[in-house]
Amino acid sequence: MQEAIVFSLNVSYGIISLALLVLGLAIIFGLLGVLNMAHGELVAIGAYTAWAVQSAGLPLLLALPVAAIAAGAIGWLMEISIIRHLYRRPFDTLLATWGISILLREAIKICFGLEYKSVIEPVGGSITILGADYPTYRIWLMVAVVLGFVGLFLWYRRSHAGTRVRAMVANPMLASAVGIETAKLARRAFVLGAASAGLAGCLMAPLIRIDPYMGVDYLLSSFFVLVVGGLGSLQGVFIGSGVIGGAETAASTILGGTGGYVTVLVISILFLWLKPGGLYARR
Amino acid sequence: MDRRNFLKTTIGALAASQIASPTWAQGKPLKLGFLIPKSGPAGIFGPSSETTTTMAIEEINASGGILGRQVEALYGDAGGAPSDTVQAAQRLWRRDGVEALIGQHDSASREAVAAMLRGQLTYVYTPVNEGGYCHTNTYSLGETPDQQLAPVIPYLAKEHGLKKWYLIGNDYVWPRGTNAAAKTYIAETGGEIVGEEYHPFTVDNFDTSLTRIRESGADAVLITLVGGASVTFNRAFASFGLDKQAIRLGTLIEENTLAGIGEANSNRMYSTAGYFDALDTPAALAFRKTYYDRFGADAPVLNTLGEGCYEGAMALRAMFEAAGSTETDAVAAAANGVSYTGPRGTTTLSEGFAASDIYLATAKGAVFEIVQRFEKVAPGNACTNG
Amino acid sequence: MRAADAFFLPVFALLALVPFSFGDFTAYQLSLFILYGIVGQGIALCWGRVGILPLGQAMFFGLGAYLGGGALIWAEGNWALLLPCLVLAILLPALLAGLVALVVFRRQTGSGPFFSLITLALSMLTYQIALTASDLTGGFNGLTGIPPLPGTDPWGNLYWVILGTLLVTTLGTTWVLRAPIGTLWSAVAQNEARLSFLGYNVAGLKALAFAGSAALAALAGALYASQQGIVSPQTLGYVLSGELLIWTAVGGRQTVLGPVVGAVLIGFLSSELRDGFALWEVLLAAIFIGVVLLMPQGLGGLARPLLDKLSRKRKAPARDVIIPLSDAPSQPDLSFSDVEVTMGSVHILRGLSFDMKDPGLHCVIGPNGAGKTSSFNALSGLLPVSRGAIHWNGRDVTGRLPHQVARLGIARKLQVPMIFHDLSVADHLNIAIWAQNLSARDALRPSSFRRRNPVMDELFTLFPFLRDEQKTAGELSLGHRQMLEFAMSIMNKPTLVLLDEPCAGLSKLETTDMTGAIARMREKFGISALIVEHDFSVVETLSDHIYVLHQGELLAEGTLDQIRANTEVQAVYAGGSK
Repeated sequence: MQEAIVFSLNVSYGIISLALLVLGLAIIFGLLGVLNMAHGELVAIGAYTAWAVQSAGLPLLLALPVAAIAAGAIGWLMEISIIRHLYRRPFDTLLATWGISILLREAIKICFGLEYKSVIEPVGGSITILGADYPTYRIWLMVAVVLGFVGLFLWYRRSHAGTRVRAMVANPMLASAVGIETAKLARRAFVLGAASAGLAGCLMAPLIRIDPYMGVDYLLSSFFVLVVGGLGSLQGVFIGSGVIGGAETAASTILGGTGGYVTVLVISILFLWLKPGGLYARR
Repeated sequence: MDRRNFLKTTIGALAASQIASPTWAQGKPLKLGFLIPKSGPAGIFGPSSETTTTMAIEEINASGGILGRQVEALYGDAGGAPSDTVQAAQRLWRRDGVEALIGQHDSASREAVAAMLRGQLTYVYTPVNEGGYCHTNTYSLGETPDQQLAPVIPYLAKEHGLKKWYLIGNDYVWPRGTNAAAKTYIAETGGEIVGEEYHPFTVDNFDTSLTRIRESGADAVLITLVGGASVTFNRAFASFGLDKQAIRLGTLIEENTLAGIGEANSNRMYSTAGYFDALDTPAALAFRKTYYDRFGADAPVLNTLGEGCYEGAMALRAMFEAAGSTETDAVAAAANGVSYTGPRGTTTLSEGFAASDIYLATAKGAVFEIVQRFEKVAPGNACTNG
Repeated sequence: MRAADAFFLPVFALLALVPFSFGDFTAYQLSLFILYGIVGQGIALCWGRVGILPLGQAMFFGLGAYLGGGALIWAEGNWALLLPCLVLAILLPALLAGLVALVVFRRQTGSGPFFSLITLALSMLTYQIALTASDLTGGFNGLTGIPPLPGTDPWGNLYWVILGTLLVTTLGTTWVLRAPIGTLWSAVAQNEARLSFLGYNVAGLKALAFAGSAALAALAGALYASQQGIVSPQTLGYVLSGELLIWTAVGGRQTVLGPVVGAVLIGFLSSELRDGFALWEVLLAAIFIGVVLLMPQGLGGLARPLLDKLSRKRKAPARDVIIPLSDAPSQPDLSFSDVEVTMGSVHILRGLSFDMKDPGLHCVIGPNGAGKTSSFNALSGLLPVSRGAIHWNGRDVTGRLPHQVARLGIARKLQVPMIFHDLSVADHLNIAIWAQNLSARDALRPSSFRRRNPVMDELFTLFPFLRDEQKTAGELSLGHRQMLEFAMSIMNKPTLVLLDEPCAGLSKLETTDMTGAIARMREKFGISALIVEHDFSVVETLSDHIYVLHQGELLAEGTLDQIRANTEVQAVYAGGSK
């Protein structure tokens, strides 16, 4: 019984952490059609912010807004200088953001050095859930992320801003004809995606390794989640994370670590081939 | 004298002077090529490799150089794919004229460089390695699995009453080689293997493995994960409270990795290596003092990989002096049995590998503390075709 | 010979001088980047020409390297064994590439990011397989001890072998791109749908291009194995794939030599800088971003304005190869049986049934939303039919792919003219006359550019603007584009041509020309047409059999007078009912 609880918690953590890390990329890719290859580096910036705040002796909670602002600011810079010229050129955005990711990584190296950084969990120890011990911070993280997603979902559905964004997504020309400032809205969407990536890095910082090269793996797994889950919807992010996270856990239990990784790749290829819209395509 | 004769005479004189005077070379600096990782994920060890190399060269030159010649260090970037390392090695050898190569990089690059050199140049490979390979004129100074485990596993087994071992590493030749050696030593202590796993480099979620470790009841985990995987695994290990259940032994957990793991997560974690920053032998302390005085307190922290470059330079000096020349075959003839003393203690070259002292350290917060020293441990698998 | 060829000589001359001016060692280093440049030429083929972005091209390079390396080790210097193995080392990756592309593009139109991501995922997969299958590939340490090609020395004469290979690939690729297949590939990048409607198997064309690029990559890989003596898994991975893309983009993906220049300049530069300059990656990234933003055509693109100035407007070759007309029947036999098409909750066609068995011109009219274009789309295979069936010549053709429908003798002209913006009028005529009539040999022969047939001759008379064959289609007015598209659709004497508002947007004069042409084609070649039209004067001129569609069903059928007298039709048009 205890093993089943721990297993379910592990699977949940895997899915939720994956969804959290993917969110920023999903926003940018889903809303703007931009394959942001610098997504991993924005996550890294969030993680480094957490370390910087903790090293300065400040409470870790402060790191959350700082990380969002830092990553969002960099996203704003990216959009206004480079991305906005390239919206109609999807391949070029891919290549340009690739170049930006290298620049960001080198900047991280220069500012923080090459060594691993470590962020201490704000709440240590473990909680007993139905008889099973599970690390406290992970539980907090999962609860916070689920609540955050629900909030985001409701906002997107109900608020004025959400409506405008949905209009812009559905029909950019018509949206701009009725007075929605699409350029500004696109910029805000990009900044939101970047800030989400930063937030994700900050929240995950106590649980992951922190070094200049950490971004690359997050980028790759994010793409595969989006491919399976479908673009342009929050449900898609969760479904994709569920399938990829679940498949990897199941496969690595049976086939070992390499088998799990290979399974994820094969599933992604199958989806890209047979169901490129993903499981929950908006369009 | 007509022009043709003049030419012949001049050329003849030049040639004669080359052959007749080996000391003609004496004025020329002795160039050594250092292949260190300056880019890519392994670049984390680049700064410490460079600083220790600089220190080694300065010390060697201060005491008269090698064979009366001043030494000059040239660097090549070994942080990329093996073909890039080979390019760098080629540049150092053929274009810049180095008389030996010292490699501080992964085994794939080592195999590539050795295959390219085909024994035409003395090649000293310094990092921890999987042992059991053999290349002409290639000398490996770093810790082999037999060295790291033969004395350490029985010691820990006795110390903690270890019966059930779990093996986890990345999926390539070094972890597999290490685990193969480990199984012998574990069996000798009466222990059993309750799990063995290999993961690709990209995996960063070890939750299912940790669950398996818990369920297996293991009391010792032998970790051959490298780099970021090691950091992530060890952090998660401690956060699940598994440090209460099992001790951890790593064969490549050095100071940078420990910093990443963090002091909260390093309880009951051991590392076995030939060198630690915290080493307290007189030779090591003197080395440390000179290092941090020279480069400042913020210098790249010393670790077994970076310090290995210093060892490489010292080994080369000993080899060249034993051979009386830098000529590759002369060195090969003289190399076996050459020994020198450095921060690690006394190292003796033995059939393409090296016997040296091995240390077992435990993590105390964010730093290591030496627990035990094992002297003159043989490298095990020797290179029988020299 | 064209102006662009002028670059070949200086580039090859410079490369040939390198061993003499800079020594064998520099030549050795350079030869590696020339090999990468050859891979880049393949990338320029599938990306620059066809528009397929390969994110995992190193996979084919690495496959060629492993296979070539394995062959070199196994054959032990015996050319009789080695040669066929090397040929296999090039063909197998090409076959794999063609298969993957065919399988993917059959299901997806367009060259969206999905195919690119598939290539990336495959590259990561092969990298992992190479790491794990260490018995076969040597694992992490790689395949070692590969002997060089017999008789060559990697630090000596192998440079000439590699340079010679570059010469062959450059000339070969240039020749292929200037052949008819090259024009077809350009057309794929610009308007796939138009090609499908002409009967071309676009998936097959793309697969061919991708296979070609893989063959070039594998060839470079096999030489790489000989040059380096070791092949490690990174040769397959996404890092190298990315670098190859960067070098191709910087050098210019629209040119054949551009990628080589890119690889040599950037690759060489980074390999020299990385040892000494700590910020070399920053410099590279900055170059890359700069190229993407400011010079999307790369260095090769810088030369373009100069080339355009230098090259004289080449005259189209005289069309002196007469192709006989196809002997397709002139009797159309089309029937829709209770066809229903539903998209989501919208019923587009609700049980549409009609027969068309008489040759001649038939018009289809009806208010907006009646389903006129949709019925065409259902026939062409663009809209999925949920119920009912469509029969042509007695055979059920429901749900066939557009190019399959075209091959049955049904041509299509769309409402908004689909043309290839950057291709010339001559190219359009050629693409049309080649459709369904181009063998593999013909696809490579320059003589195929000189074809004409009786329909084309008539078209030159009907539409004199077509004689200005060198004009770029993008410069044509809307009216001329309509006429050009019409010309393309009937070039091969189809049995039936579906014309969707052929006179939309045309002036009165142009309308007269167009209707005259349609009638003339009917009269001279027996081409029947089903014409959607709103303009009643056109309907009156052209046809005396009319179908009236309303809300996805057939409302009425008959001559113009009968339709005019029909009260239901009157009601629909005057807004009387429904």
